[in-house]
Amino acid sequence: MRERERQDYRPPAGEGGGGASGGGGLDRLREQANRFLEAGDEAINRALANSDSEAFLRASRQQGGE
Amino acid sequence: MIDLSIPRLPKLAGADIELGNFVLGMPGPDTGALASRALLAEIDGLPRARRVSYTPYSGNWSSHNCWRSKGDSADDIESSYTGGWNSQDWGRKYLPTNGGCAYIDLDHLELCLPEVLSAWDHAAAWHAMLRIAREAMDSANARLPEGRAIQVLVNNSDGQGHSYGSHLNFLVTRRAWENVIRRKPHYLAWLASFQASSIVCTGQGKVGSENGAPDVPFQISQRADYFETLVGPQTTFERPLVNSRDEHLCGTLRWSRGGAAPARLHVIFFDNTLAHRSCVLKVGIMQLALAMMEAERVNPTLILDDALAAVGAYSRDPTLRTSARLATGADATAVELQFMFLEEARRFAAEGGFDGFVPRAAEILDLWEDTLERLRAADWMGLAPKLDWVMKLMILKRAMGQRPSLTWDSPEIRHLDKIYASLDPSGLYWAYERSGFAERLLDEARIRHFCSEPPADSRAWARAMLLRKADPDWVDSVDWDSISFRVRDGGYWPSRRNVDMENPLGMTEAELVPLFEKDGRFTDLLDAIEAAAAGTSATQRPQTVN
Repeated sequence: MRERERQDYRPPAGEGGGGASGGGGLDRLREQANRFLEAGDEAINRALANSDSEAFLRASRQQGGE
Repeated sequence: MIDLSIPRLPKLAGADIELGNFVLGMPGPDTGALASRALLAEIDGLPRARRVSYTPYSGNWSSHNCWRSKGDSADDIESSYTGGWNSQDWGRKYLPTNGGCAYIDLDHLELCLPEVLSAWDHAAAWHAMLRIAREAMDSANARLPEGRAIQVLVNNSDGQGHSYGSHLNFLVTRRAWENVIRRKPHYLAWLASFQASSIVCTGQGKVGSENGAPDVPFQISQRADYFETLVGPQTTFERPLVNSRDEHLCGTLRWSRGGAAPARLHVIFFDNTLAHRSCVLKVGIMQLALAMMEAERVNPTLILDDALAAVGAYSRDPTLRTSARLATGADATAVELQFMFLEEARRFAAEGGFDGFVPRAAEILDLWEDTLERLRAADWMGLAPKLDWVMKLMILKRAMGQRPSLTWDSPEIRHLDKIYASLDPSGLYWAYERSGFAERLLDEARIRHFCSEPPADSRAWARAMLLRKADPDWVDSVDWDSISFRVRDGGYWPSRRNVDMENPLGMTEAELVPLFEKDGRFTDLLDAIEAAAAGTSATQRPQTVN
């Protein structure tokens, strides 16, 4: 398998969040996206603060299925 | 030019999807058996009777059913949900709510969608089934002693060498099925190549590698490590890119109409997905591809030289730069190859090729093109709300950015990988959905509809209605293409009645609702359905769709 060189590109000026209708400047979109991401940060913090990751992974061992 | 002599069928779709499930807080590994049984016991479905039946298609014996023990003692909790037949596939319950199904497969709760026509309905029905599973999880957890909680993960791998499936099912003609599985190797290779490159739109993403695959920090597909052969009927070992299981679920129609007879293509390739766009595209682009394949519009220049090697290589490069050799000798990245398939699909659409066979085909094409354009432009911020693997990668990189001590090998990062897809509301996908970050393509009302109602445009409608109308004790056995009843309506002995539901596109709301709206005995309804079926010849062409 080979790797393509990434061509120089400009990402399209698009939506900050998937559900946001956008409009307004890029700064507003960035601010909106950051708000969304900060909400997700709380979920990450809760997940890592409230549980023992190693214990979770041990317990999560499954049978193969299908 | 489309050859009108080739039989074709609308691309009805279903799914049978396993979930990861275990009990956190219980000593020892392998609590999946207990977790899956506890979950299934909380889902109402039929038949109720605990009996063993033989499934002719798979040759398996399975038992019905899984119900809660009447005791509510926390000390009894382990014995309450064990016991019974320990075959691979058991406890099957069909849902009078939406015509879907739930059961246990190798200690995983498995959810089966009712049959639907549109990719949007498929995604909405999937999210509806997840809500049903979440309610079951909450109810089961309410019965557990403190310190124990059932966890349900909507993924395909435990990261410890075990994979479980997210299977899709598509209605195709017998001729198309024979072409791809038995007769035309280039069709098989074309489909495998399409699937292999599609992971850029449909992967959930995974930390690390398994099954002896080369180490990698993160890869696009959860399933790529587990595919070891091109084609085969097996699903639990040496998994094939293209599954050749021939389980048509169409009763005697299998033997009618020659090449126009219905067949079911059982697709084990894809990851479980949650992001709306990933869910819609997974089904929608397969509908497009299969419609083209059924019309025998297979361009052999789109075939990968080695689709098995390609899927792994594509998966292990989230930068999307890796290319794979085509059979023509040219190289193509996954995105480039997907663009080639898209162009073929656009040409086919321009001839009207999808009309009547793939609902909302134009929208699927536009969504697919938009996604590929963004992938080509590496528009990660634009894609993160839309595709599971991009969102997951963003979350994990953000977590590591905020906690410099964490690396890809840290248990915390592997933990976040898993709970991205946790069914618990604290699962990361749902947190991003609630915040407004995740793209919403599905109408909330439509998801709620499928929580309690069946699709109107397939036999799932009649299945749900019959299961609602019948006394639950009369429901003897249920399968996708038939329901058997033992009706006690005044006589000394119960009368056995069987309703054939062989045509997946038949027995819709439009066809049968007048019969269900009449007052009368249940047996009168069955008589009317039988009379209506007798008036519909098995040799008639199935209807197309708008």
